[in-house]
Amino acid sequence: MCGIIGFLDKTGSRPLGQTLLAMLEALSCRGPDSAGVAVFGPASPFLIVQIMLPQQEDHAAAVKKILETARDCGAIINHHLVGDFLRIEVDGTVDPVELEEMLVGRHAGLEVVSLGHSLEIVKQVGSPAGLEKTYGISKRQGSHSIGHTRMSTESRVDLSHSQPFWAHGVPDLATVHNGHITNYHKLRRQYEQRGYRFYNENDSEVIGVYLRDRLAAGMSLADALRSSLDDFDGSFSYLAASGDSLAFVKDRFGFKPLMVAETEDFVGIATEEIALRTALGREFVALEPAPGTARIWSVPVKVSA
Amino acid sequence: MEINCRDKTTREINRLLRESIAEGNKDIQVLEPDGRHNLGVALLEPAHVVFDGSVGYYCAGMMDGADVEIRGSAGWGTAESMMNGTIIIEGNAGSGVAASIRGGTVVVRGDAAARAGVSMKGGRLLIGGNCGYMAGFMMQKGTIVICGNAGHALADSMYEGVVFVGGTIDSLGNDAVLEEPSAADRKNLQKLLEAYNIPGPKSFRKVVAGRKLWNFDRKEIDVWKVAL
Repeated sequence: MCGIIGFLDKTGSRPLGQTLLAMLEALSCRGPDSAGVAVFGPASPFLIVQIMLPQQEDHAAAVKKILETARDCGAIINHHLVGDFLRIEVDGTVDPVELEEMLVGRHAGLEVVSLGHSLEIVKQVGSPAGLEKTYGISKRQGSHSIGHTRMSTESRVDLSHSQPFWAHGVPDLATVHNGHITNYHKLRRQYEQRGYRFYNENDSEVIGVYLRDRLAAGMSLADALRSSLDDFDGSFSYLAASGDSLAFVKDRFGFKPLMVAETEDFVGIATEEIALRTALGREFVALEPAPGTARIWSVPVKVSA
Repeated sequence: MEINCRDKTTREINRLLRESIAEGNKDIQVLEPDGRHNLGVALLEPAHVVFDGSVGYYCAGMMDGADVEIRGSAGWGTAESMMNGTIIIEGNAGSGVAASIRGGTVVVRGDAAARAGVSMKGGRLLIGGNCGYMAGFMMQKGTIVICGNAGHALADSMYEGVVFVGGTIDSLGNDAVLEEPSAADRKNLQKLLEAYNIPGPKSFRKVVAGRKLWNFDRKEIDVWKVAL
């Protein structure tokens, strides 16, 4: 199981946060283990970095040390601690790969959960209602977002294994996945030999690594998504979102459900139609994409800060 | 009478449906279904039930003798294991529509996704639009009519029954073969399409079992290697 959602507001007229929460809650029975969203808010000149703190350590002490490391890399504009995450904003000229390397290298158990000029990921173990309580996702603003409710089948239930996943190394690129990438171990071995780092044992993490690798090889995101239909085995409906796009990919056998609705006002994507109806109403047609298809929408609106 | 799904659990809705029918209400509108799963399963008495919008998975599964209308689209496994009755889906149907039905008629006015009518053991499935791959996989009896195009591996490993296709066929499945439709076939098709007011194509192709998989024959080992 697992539930995935995607929403793109074409006109800037819908409250993004409330829509997300309603969609996620409609799919909470598909994924009671954890819930999360990747929201693309107003583009910032700074890099927004969401950091999962080491679990064992005292938070205040850990924050102090992490900020020192981040300062070594670039000026910190501001920081604050919400739930399990330390959110920092650093100078936009900082090399994101170098920043992550330094943070992860110096602090055992730390994980950079998201990084980008507009992307922010929050997630936690438990229900969408719990996510709302901790992070107030209904108040988030932005142009588009993807979200996930997880029912774990292969790997541990904890924050690190929860989705959405940021595609480490690529600012503003996140994925959510429903299904099982069955050639995960093979792909992971190949990528690890080439120096890519994996942060958990969730097979869905390989999607972000794959996209990063294809983008580095010069492919467009749209082409990378399409080529993943050939390179991934197993069952998958997954969504990818970047600062200026939202996309879905559905495996060749259509093993995993996915419903898509597009109107003049929005693009709504959800594992089950009930999420679209509950959050977006009845005045539109929802269609199940054909197996073996990928589609990408570019984000037409810029939300002012 | 009307039943509104809002603020009710699926179990409450289905119980209310069955109780209302038992009390003699034979015409029931179910409002605001909003893509909810398992609506109207196991309806065992004659009644006319209308779902006023899209429904989720397994709608009207295991039912016997009711007439169901879905004024929207339907999710996966709609009408699965139905014994008798009629289900009309105004929009599209998700994967596995009419899987394992034993009798009755399922009408999809729009398109049907993959695996439509798999393992049918009787009854009729009428699709106004196109359908996805492996329609009629391992069907044992009954009739599937696809007015539009059929996807890959059509009627793969079917034992018996018949599939009619008005449009193109991406590929036939193992042991599925084409046969010339008879005059009686054409007449029956026309009657069926008229009965449900579905505009049909000019002509249909007929797909039946080649019967090579009925009995194992060492000389035909290659057929089995592909099929299994």
